[in-house]
Amino acid sequence: MRFLISLLLLIALALPAGAQERVAYPAVEPGRVFAFPADHGAHSDFRTEWWYVTGWLKAPDGRDLGFQVTFFRSRPETDEANPSRFAPGQILFAHAGLSDPETGRLLHGERAARAGFGLAEASTMDADVVLQDWTFKRRPDGTFETRVETPDFAFDFAFAPTQGEFLQGENGYSRKGPKPEEASHYYSLPHLQVSGTLTRGGEAQPVTGEAWLDREWSSSYLAPDAAGWDWTGLNLDDGGALMAFRIRGKNGGTLWAGGSLRRPDGEIVRFAHEDVSLEPVRTWRSPDTNAEYPVEQLLTVRLPEGERRFPIVPLFDAQELDGRSGGLPVYWEGAVRTEGGRGYLELTGYVDPLEM
Amino acid sequence: MHSDTALAPPPIVPARTAGILAVSGLAKSVPAGRQLFSGLDLAVAPGEVVAIVGESGVGKSTLLNILAGLDEADRGEVRIEGAAIGPLDEAGRTRLRRERIGFVFQAFHILPYLTLAQNVALPLALVSADQPRIEARALAMLEAVGLGDRGASYARDLSGGELQRVAIARALVHEPALILADEPTGNLDPETAGRVLDLFAREVRSGDAAAVIVTHSRATAAIADRVLVLTAGGLRPADA
Amino acid sequence: MSALPAVPPPSRAGLVSARLALRWLIAGEWRAHPARFLLTAVAIAVGVALGFAVHLVNGSALASFEGAVRSVNGAADLQVRAASSLGFDEALYPDVARAAGVSDASPVVVLDARADGAEFTLLGLDVIRAARVSPSLVGLNSSGPDRSRDSIFSAETLFLSRAALAATGRAVGDTLEVSANGRTVPLRIAGILDGVGEGQAIGTMDIAAAQWRFDRLGRLDRIDLALADRRAAENALTPLLPPGATLSSEDSEATRGANLSRAYRINLTMLALVALLTGGFLVFSAQSLSVARRLRAFALVRTLGLPRRGIVAAVALEGLLIGVVGGVVGLLAGWSLATLALRWFGGDLGAGYFSGAATKVVVSPLAALGFFGLGLLSALLGSVLPARAASRAAPAAALKTSGDMADPRKPVPWKPAAALLALGTLASFLPALNGVPVFGYAGMALLLAGGVAGVPWLARRLLGPLASARIRRPAALLAVRHVHGAPGEAATALCGIVASTALMIAMATMVTSFRVAVDDWLAQVLVADVYVRAEGAGGIDPEAQASLAAVPGIARVEFSRQLPLSLAPDRPPVTLLARPIDPAREGGLLVLVEGPAEVPAGTTPVWISEPAARLYDWSPGTEIALPLGENARFAVAGVWRDYARQSGAVMLDEADYARITGDATRDEAAVTLAPGADAGAVSAALLAAAPPGSTVARPAELRAFALDLFDRSFSVTYVLEAVAILVGLAGVAATMSAQTVARVREFGMLRHLGLEKRTITAMLGLEGAILGGVGGVAGVALGAVLAQVLIHVINPQSFNWTMDTRWPIGTILAVVAALVMAAALTAMVAARRATAPQAVAAVREDW
Repeated sequence: MRFLISLLLLIALALPAGAQERVAYPAVEPGRVFAFPADHGAHSDFRTEWWYVTGWLKAPDGRDLGFQVTFFRSRPETDEANPSRFAPGQILFAHAGLSDPETGRLLHGERAARAGFGLAEASTMDADVVLQDWTFKRRPDGTFETRVETPDFAFDFAFAPTQGEFLQGENGYSRKGPKPEEASHYYSLPHLQVSGTLTRGGEAQPVTGEAWLDREWSSSYLAPDAAGWDWTGLNLDDGGALMAFRIRGKNGGTLWAGGSLRRPDGEIVRFAHEDVSLEPVRTWRSPDTNAEYPVEQLLTVRLPEGERRFPIVPLFDAQELDGRSGGLPVYWEGAVRTEGGRGYLELTGYVDPLEM
Repeated sequence: MHSDTALAPPPIVPARTAGILAVSGLAKSVPAGRQLFSGLDLAVAPGEVVAIVGESGVGKSTLLNILAGLDEADRGEVRIEGAAIGPLDEAGRTRLRRERIGFVFQAFHILPYLTLAQNVALPLALVSADQPRIEARALAMLEAVGLGDRGASYARDLSGGELQRVAIARALVHEPALILADEPTGNLDPETAGRVLDLFAREVRSGDAAAVIVTHSRATAAIADRVLVLTAGGLRPADA
Repeated sequence: MSALPAVPPPSRAGLVSARLALRWLIAGEWRAHPARFLLTAVAIAVGVALGFAVHLVNGSALASFEGAVRSVNGAADLQVRAASSLGFDEALYPDVARAAGVSDASPVVVLDARADGAEFTLLGLDVIRAARVSPSLVGLNSSGPDRSRDSIFSAETLFLSRAALAATGRAVGDTLEVSANGRTVPLRIAGILDGVGEGQAIGTMDIAAAQWRFDRLGRLDRIDLALADRRAAENALTPLLPPGATLSSEDSEATRGANLSRAYRINLTMLALVALLTGGFLVFSAQSLSVARRLRAFALVRTLGLPRRGIVAAVALEGLLIGVVGGVVGLLAGWSLATLALRWFGGDLGAGYFSGAATKVVVSPLAALGFFGLGLLSALLGSVLPARAASRAAPAAALKTSGDMADPRKPVPWKPAAALLALGTLASFLPALNGVPVFGYAGMALLLAGGVAGVPWLARRLLGPLASARIRRPAALLAVRHVHGAPGEAATALCGIVASTALMIAMATMVTSFRVAVDDWLAQVLVADVYVRAEGAGGIDPEAQASLAAVPGIARVEFSRQLPLSLAPDRPPVTLLARPIDPAREGGLLVLVEGPAEVPAGTTPVWISEPAARLYDWSPGTEIALPLGENARFAVAGVWRDYARQSGAVMLDEADYARITGDATRDEAAVTLAPGADAGAVSAALLAAAPPGSTVARPAELRAFALDLFDRSFSVTYVLEAVAILVGLAGVAATMSAQTVARVREFGMLRHLGLEKRTITAMLGLEGAILGGVGGVAGVALGAVLAQVLIHVINPQSFNWTMDTRWPIGTILAVVAALVMAAALTAMVAARRATAPQAVAAVREDW
């Protein structure tokens, strides 16, 4: 489960303006049968969708870096009768971040556009998203590729799947709250093999690494009394993949939790609400926003064979993304290590409660 | 001399022994070509008042202008306190007039929009901005000519005789070596003229200055130490 | 003498050490003639005030225009703009967005909108693009749960600048009926555009909604660009652009605004400088007389030992004082004037160049310093020139003489005047420099100087016959002899008045010629019986055209279309006129001044206005490029006279226009009535048939409206003229009375000789009249020449139109009469003072 941080704003803005403009969004329902490669492509009727890649890179000098690249799609509430080619039927948004312990902070860049004119398009046939000069697509051989460019860095990566699609929740139906409609269609591709070029300061260098792709689409998301959430996706060294999240209520407690583990042999263990616990171990206070993030946590999941603990430790503390100057929310999105694995941790709603 | 001599230029000629005014071989003709006079010689000693008389048009005023450096002679030499004025340029002559020469005019020439004290002080105001000192001296000069209480008055409040006394005070205020007077009593009645002339002669002599008075009035000439007649051939003593 | 205080030691530095004496001389003069000092200072102040005020008003208007440009553009680096209000195809957008050097591109639809009586520029924006390219145009509240976050993509959402919101009188959250492009749409005010400059009326909405609701589907008016590499972008974009689009930066837009009114602004500034020049002449007059009066005083101090320079220094110091006082007062007065003018007339002083721009006075210290310096310079020059002449006088001679020693036999020099006049004439024939008639103005200045310099000669010429005539009456004899004998003195008294009269006559002639030309032209142009205009109402669509044509009582109706068409990004757009053209039929707009010419095969004939021909250097028969249609070629078939559109106009046949653009909307109908039809009834029927918001006008109303507009745009010109004349008349009054007072002894003598007071008064009155008459004749003659320069050089070079000369005989006669009267009257008033008993006693006085 991924939070569409930056898109939040756009969605929030697209919320009911007038009853006459209400758009009929399809609901997320269990029992949907996934079909690929079409499900790699956009599901344009749903309100929200994303292609979200996080991963670890190894630079030629042996250093570890974290990266994130996300393409969001949103369908705002607009009058569908508008024949203008500028009609904002689909909005695309993309976000890329680079975590380098030497920089000591998160570098990031973004793109946004309403779909149209070939400048911003998301194909419904296969993964093929174009957003100005940023792209995310799937080659005929099944490899995904992405290209982004920001003032601080640029990358051009290929992600080769080593495992099959990992359907989250009940065969891809992932609940986010107590109500059944608070859910998303959700699948992941863990253990993607990364190869490509990372350019920083005009200097291109070859990199390799391992990444995780999250694909999620939905029409209704958070429960009204949710403040934010903690999420993690971990590529385990033994070939397993672990995803866990908890939705925090505005009162501070856990509203909902969930996740699943796919063992190296492909067996999936789905966690119920009470099977997952994320406990803060150490917090870090952002000097910029004064928000206090539980950057080090202890993840406990209940497996058939018993409880298993995954202590989560960040690559470095200052991986906060302050998007407020661009009118975006603040959150923490960081590369993390655990015993026998590596992945990403996402912490939202620590400055202001999120609305969705 | 004063203690601030260092700042002041040296006097043009310090020695008075040679006489204040020495004129030799002076000749002048009017632009039309008529010769006014030629071969004119004149020497005036300190404390001496010389009157020059002559008919109208003989060149009395022109001679005075030449002595003042306001006009140029055709030939001859004018020395004031031993220094020839011929070689001096315009600025030099202006400075000579400012520092060593005093003037008395027939028509008084008291500026109507200045106070009498300012009129008297005008020659000093041309060389110094030390207003209190200048005005004190101007008032003292007015006192000396018997108008000590009229310093703040204006020309229109005075009679002709009084105006000419003011003019005399102005002519002497800067202790000139030479005073040139052109018909100083021409606009005055005889009685007033006599009193003014007495004052004039007294002031000139007490200051060891020399004076040249140009006049056609015998009465005026009478107060002079010497009376000379201007003719085309130069100056000759009047045959009293 | 030892009891006396010591003589202060003399010092060598002449002028510095003589400062006390100089101060006494100046202060004495000031005390004696305070009115003279004041008057000259006022003359300078008036000049400085007018110049500074005009400059401030111009500068403020331009600043507000530039502010408006910046606001509407939202500080984009570069823009692709539509050449006309037809816009360009939106397919250009992706090409532009992908062009090299372009980092982001924001498409914009621009509409002139009205709502609740408020007018504002409504921009249709893609808020995501605008946020990156022109963030000041984005009006969304970024975050916070309590804020209203209504759909920025909603078709109903409208953001308004504070000025626009205030003009509508509504509040955020209200729904507003917004009209633009002939459509009216309800929009909800969702928020305020905080980034828009103060006073700028702007609204924004979603671009898709704007295209849809206001009938602009498929068209864009603008693409705002953020650049990564300007040169690369300009190189890449230029070949991309179709004929209907141009590349433009904020600079070129500001230049366009400045160009629009430049000629008008320069002319106003020139007029203001004329007032300053007249003030300078007045100072010259007054100081000349003052110096003449003080010749003997100067001679005295020269005799007493003041260097020659001292005289010049004293008078120059007076001039400096006059200049400083006049300059400071002038700057203050100018600022107040500008503030008042902006409040009453607006930034263009009523000329209609910057409509709707709210203006505040913007003071530039440099300009203030400049005008102060000009005032100081005129005062100094006006003082130093006569002082130099005075300092050359031999002191001994000057001390003896009483006043003007003019020799009536001495010939008056005429060569300098002739040389100046010749130079001025030559300069007038030179072409404009950078669109500004620099040489024309230089020629006018030279002619003016030559004319003034020639006044003594003219006075001698004019009075020669009089002087040799046998005049019986003593008053007349003395008056004529005096003026004839002292022409230099007369010229001194007259130069201010000659200068201002000449300029007044020149301006009046030019304005009269212009007005008559416009009036005649209007009569030729307005040939139809009724005009229906739908400008701003969204135009007359084919349906409305049909219903208009169906109105009974109509013999013929011709529809026309008017569009602004940008030919160069830094020039104001020309007007494109599409109407039925029958080259065989003269009249209507087609009053040809050149042509008709054959056009090359394959081209569409267009008829261009005279300003367009001059501005773009087009001539009949040649092919020209117009940003219209995809592959259309155009050629000039003729040049027509047009006083309405200073930036130029291009006319083409309605059928050609429809074929090339596909635009079927028209915005004007010229209706010819059927014989016997009732104009009133038909007008009413036409108004009923026309789209709402249309107006119906008859030629007489249009003509009155046009002439009213003309008069309003020249109103400031009239005011400036009147001020110049008043300054000139004040100069005559001052110089006449000063001369009279200076001649008190002469009058005393005349009284002693047995002249009656009446005779002297009559003599002076006559002298004044003669001077006024000579000044008037000289001024009118010079003014006639200057008028020719204005009409045939300045006007074509700055406004690009020509006209024939019409003489405002009434104005000329009135000015000359006023001059003669003013001069005579002031002389007589002065004479009364001069012949008063105490003045008569002055004959025995010295000064």
